[in-house]
Amino acid sequence: MSKDLRLISKEKEKKTIIKIADLKIGEDFIVIAGPCAVENERQTIETAIAVKEAGANMLRGGAFKPRTSPYAFQGLGLKGLKILEKAKQETGLPIVTEVIDSRDVSWISEYADVLQIGARNMQNFSLLKEVGKTDKPVLLKRGMYSTLKEWLSCAEYILSEGNPNVILCERGIRTFETYTRNTLDLSMVPAVKECTHLPVLVDPSHGTGKKSLIGPMSLAAIAAGSDGLIVEVHNNPEVALSDKEQQFNPAEFKAYMEKVLKLSEIMKQL
Amino acid sequence: MGLKSIRDKIDAIDSKILKLLNARMEQAIIARKYKDQVMDSNREKEILERIESDTGELISPAFCQKLFKDIMSESRKLQEKNYDIIAFQGEHGAYSEMAAKAWNKELISIPCSSFADVFNGVENGRFEYGIVPVDNTLGGIVGEVNNNLMHTHLHIVGAIENPVEHCLLTLPGTNHRDIKKVYSHSQALSQCKNFLERNDLEPVPYYDTAGAAKMLSEERPEGVAVIASKFAAVLYNLEIIKSNIEDSRANKTRFVVLSKNKIEKGGEKCSIIFTTEHKAGTLFKVLEIFAKANINLTRIESMPKQLLNYAFFLDFLGSDKDEKIQKVLKEVEEHTTDLKFLGCYNERKVA
Repeated sequence: MSKDLRLISKEKEKKTIIKIADLKIGEDFIVIAGPCAVENERQTIETAIAVKEAGANMLRGGAFKPRTSPYAFQGLGLKGLKILEKAKQETGLPIVTEVIDSRDVSWISEYADVLQIGARNMQNFSLLKEVGKTDKPVLLKRGMYSTLKEWLSCAEYILSEGNPNVILCERGIRTFETYTRNTLDLSMVPAVKECTHLPVLVDPSHGTGKKSLIGPMSLAAIAAGSDGLIVEVHNNPEVALSDKEQQFNPAEFKAYMEKVLKLSEIMKQL
Repeated sequence: MGLKSIRDKIDAIDSKILKLLNARMEQAIIARKYKDQVMDSNREKEILERIESDTGELISPAFCQKLFKDIMSESRKLQEKNYDIIAFQGEHGAYSEMAAKAWNKELISIPCSSFADVFNGVENGRFEYGIVPVDNTLGGIVGEVNNNLMHTHLHIVGAIENPVEHCLLTLPGTNHRDIKKVYSHSQALSQCKNFLERNDLEPVPYYDTAGAAKMLSEERPEGVAVIASKFAAVLYNLEIIKSNIEDSRANKTRFVVLSKNKIEKGGEKCSIIFTTEHKAGTLFKVLEIFAKANINLTRIESMPKQLLNYAFFLDFLGSDKDEKIQKVLKEVEEHTTDLKFLGCYNERKVA
């Protein structure tokens, strides 16, 4: 790897293990689950309880949403963070939530355990610098048009500001294929491990955009060596305000988790 | 201006009317302490006459007469109950008031503008009790209170340790990105120093935490948040932006309750203040008495009484009804120049 990636390169360090509560990301296999967006208290807390019971380790949920259309639901903002905080109190699950504006970084850090940088903001350099100044782990999603090197350079930005705790997340890229929402590029999992010392997760929900494909692609991601998964689950997907087609209901998630956990156990023996 | 914003104004006025009515009833309850009997027809007549001449253009004298007759009848009802009062420093919603409620929720809590007003009010019989903060785990001793304790004739009749949970409060609907300044008591600001720095907020000292909440709800300045209790958020109709913003979760304040009368049956803990001669080892001698009697000290603090003359504040476990303690106190008296027994009482810790 080039000198531009001096801090994240494999030669620099063996393996980054990020501790959040009693989880060790990079060592334990972890599943982050929850709704696309925090819509209300009941929806979030019910979902949180369901994903916790099914074996998820962290709760995801967007309070500030980057939406393609300015007229689509933009998220509950700070109210959404307060709901996530309540869900954490109820379930003990650490919170992963997205930051879309550098003005919000300090505020979101007051509530979240992991700051997520979404695919659309991967190269928002002022935002990367801002999260790099915090002491919160950052989940950095791959931009939908980005090469591995561009993606890793963004991780380098965060590390160069003094925050060593970056988790990479493959979430699919744009190709000419239209059947799936994105093309989940699983080759990136071993590629990231080859080049860096950072943990890498896979987001099969955005990666496929189709519920029926999430299960098989998750198993493939585990087989490729992913450190975990981030999956969208909604207590009632039919009425979800965003990403209806790719959110599991609690029963589907439970059945999914049984397979996922089984394969992740087998992977440990390999 | 739409109907909604007009109704918001009406709601704000209603809330002010209710707070003023409450303040009026409080004064009526205090006034009872100075009156031989509840009914005072001369005073009522005087009030009704003044109301009649003060009536504005819109509201009719007949309406005002009726309204004030109702108010005075309610005041009399409250006066007949002859409530016991506990005074605290600050505005309604202050941490001291929360501690007062936790200590005894039957008492009527009345705000005072200064600690001296609390002490004086109890001393001259206006209030049955006063509650004051003695020290805080993050902010240290409350100097003014301890100074008043040195000179008061009042007795400590109870103590309570209350957790302090600071909240950042704004007017409902405020965008967090617009918050620039945070008003609160300097103690509260210092207890949330890291939080304020992390979020780039400018601290502005104010005379009281709940007072800042009251100011925000009444004056509605832009870009302002306050640090106060959850209780203050409800009382002044403010939104909690973030709770538990104190830098350390182990943030507790210890309050003592003062009264003119000491508790006859004693308690589990005693407080004394003493001074010693300016000689080597005098303080040690006093402490040695407690050590030899195997008495556990729970607080030791010193404060200058005059320049180079220190008063020592000592709390210890035990009852003044206990002969061992009585013996120890006698011995302490022989080794000190000035010994003041503040009281023997029970202490409660609120989780």
